[in-house]
Amino acid sequence: MDKAIVIENLSKTYKNNRGIQDINLEVDQGDIFGFLGPNGAGKTTAMKIMVGLMKPDKGDVKINGYSILNDYEHAMKEVGCIIENVVPYPYLTAFENMEICGRFYREVDRSRIDECLELVGLLKYKNERIKNYSLGMKQRLGIAMAILSNPKILILDEPLNGLDVEGMVEIRNLILRMSHEYKTTFFISSHLIHDIELTCNKIGILYNGKLLNVDSTDNILKSYSSLENYYLSEVDVNVGA
Amino acid sequence: MWELKAAYINEIYKISKKKKLMVASIFSFIAVVAAAIIVYSLNHLAGIRVTGSSEFSILVLSVLSYTLIPLFTAFVCIDMFSGEFTEQTIKLTLTRPVSRVKVFLAKILAVASFIMADLLFIMILSVISSFLINGTSFSILKILLSYILEFIPLFVFSLVVILICHITKGTTSAFMISVLVFLLFHGLGILFPYYKSFLFTSTFDWYKLFLGSYINVYKITRSFLILCGYSIMLFSLGYYLFDKKDI
Repeated sequence: MDKAIVIENLSKTYKNNRGIQDINLEVDQGDIFGFLGPNGAGKTTAMKIMVGLMKPDKGDVKINGYSILNDYEHAMKEVGCIIENVVPYPYLTAFENMEICGRFYREVDRSRIDECLELVGLLKYKNERIKNYSLGMKQRLGIAMAILSNPKILILDEPLNGLDVEGMVEIRNLILRMSHEYKTTFFISSHLIHDIELTCNKIGILYNGKLLNVDSTDNILKSYSSLENYYLSEVDVNVGA
Repeated sequence: MWELKAAYINEIYKISKKKKLMVASIFSFIAVVAAAIIVYSLNHLAGIRVTGSSEFSILVLSVLSYTLIPLFTAFVCIDMFSGEFTEQTIKLTLTRPVSRVKVFLAKILAVASFIMADLLFIMILSVISSFLINGTSFSILKILLSYILEFIPLFVFSLVVILICHITKGTTSAFMISVLVFLLFHGLGILFPYYKSFLFTSTFDWYKLFLGSYINVYKITRSFLILCGYSIMLFSLGYYLFDKKDI
C-alpha cells in the first residue's frame, strides 16, 4: 500500500532536554491514525515538524513521497492541518480568514469556502469578526480551513479541543465520512482516548518523546477490553523498563 | 510564482484591513495640511517667505521622512512579523503549500508597497497644498525624483525593523528597540560626523544630492552602494532568522 506519511529517525531536543527521539512511523493512505500520549510526550512537537512549523535536529518526514525539509510546497500541497490552538486573524471575519487560506489553492473559490463553513456550522456567522468568536467556533473554523482544499491528508492536533458534545460528534462523523468517501488519510492526536478508539483504525503511543508501539485498533481490542487499558499497560511496561 | 502572488495579495489584504492604515492616512493628511497652513500664514500674513511651491513638497518630505513615515513603516513591519509570531497567526500562512522564502519575500514586497503608497499619498497631498499656497509654478519632476529616491532609505529602515522583530520577543520590545536604534544611529551621526556616511540614517535626505545645481556623482554612488549593501545584508540576515524560527 502507498505510504501517505513516512517519518524517519525524527528527533528534536529542546533546551530543557525534552522533545522527541528517533521516531520512525509509517501511515498508509486512507488510514485514520491516532497519536496518543500524555501531556508533554512530544505529540505536538512531532506534528509541528510534520507540517514545517519546526525544524528537526535529525531525521525527515515524507508526505506523499515528498520531503518536508527539501520539497515543502509539494509535500504540503495535499495537506490540511490544525496544530495546537486555532488562531485566525481576529480583525478579519471568518470568510476573510478562509479567503486568506484559499488563495494558495487554485481550485478554491467562494462557493467552496461557503461549503466548508456550512459543513462546520459556521455559514450564518461567516461575516462576523473572529474576535467575537468562542473557542469552539474558532476550532470549527480551524477544521473548515483544514478541509478547504479537499486535502488527501489531514494532520489534526487535538481537533476536538473546545468543542461541545454535539460538535465533537459532528467532527467525528465528518472525519469518518471523509475517510470513507474520499479515502482521506488522517493523523490525529488527542487526549480523548474514547474518541480515538471510536475514530481511528491505527494507534501509535508516544511516551517521553519515544514511540512505544504502533498497532491497529482491531488488534488492540482483541487483546484488551478498551484502548484505555492498552494505553495504560503500554505506559506501565515502559515506566517499569 | 503563484504562491508568491497569493502570499503578497494576502499581506496587502491584511494591511488594508488594519486600522493603522487609516490612522497613518489621517495623520499624514493632518501633518501636510498643518504644514500648508503654517507656510501660507508665514508667506502671506507675516511676509516671511519659507518655501516656494516645489520646496513645499520637499519640505514636507524632509520632515515626515524622519517622523511619521518611519513610524508607520515600523508599525506595519512589527505587525507583520512580531505581531504574527506572538499571536501565532503566522501558522495560518506557514502551514499552506508555500515555502518560507516566498512568505518572507511577499511580506517584504508588501512593506515596500506600503512605503511607496505612503510616499505617493503624501506627495499628492503636498503637491495639491503647494498649488493652493503658491499657484502653478512648481517642478513636478524635482518633487517626483525626491519622493522616489526617499523610498530606498525608508526601505532599508524597514529591513532594520524586520531584523529587530526577529531578534526580540513581542511587539512592544520590537517597537522600543526600533525607535532606540533609529535615535542611536542619528546620535552616532552627530557624534562621529566623519563616519556618518556609513550610517543608513544619514541617507534619509540623500535626495538633496540630486536637487542642487552641482551633482556630486561620487557622493551619490557611495550613498547608493551603502544603501544596497545594507539592503542585501539585512535581507539575508532577516530571511535566515525567519527560516530558522520555530513556531
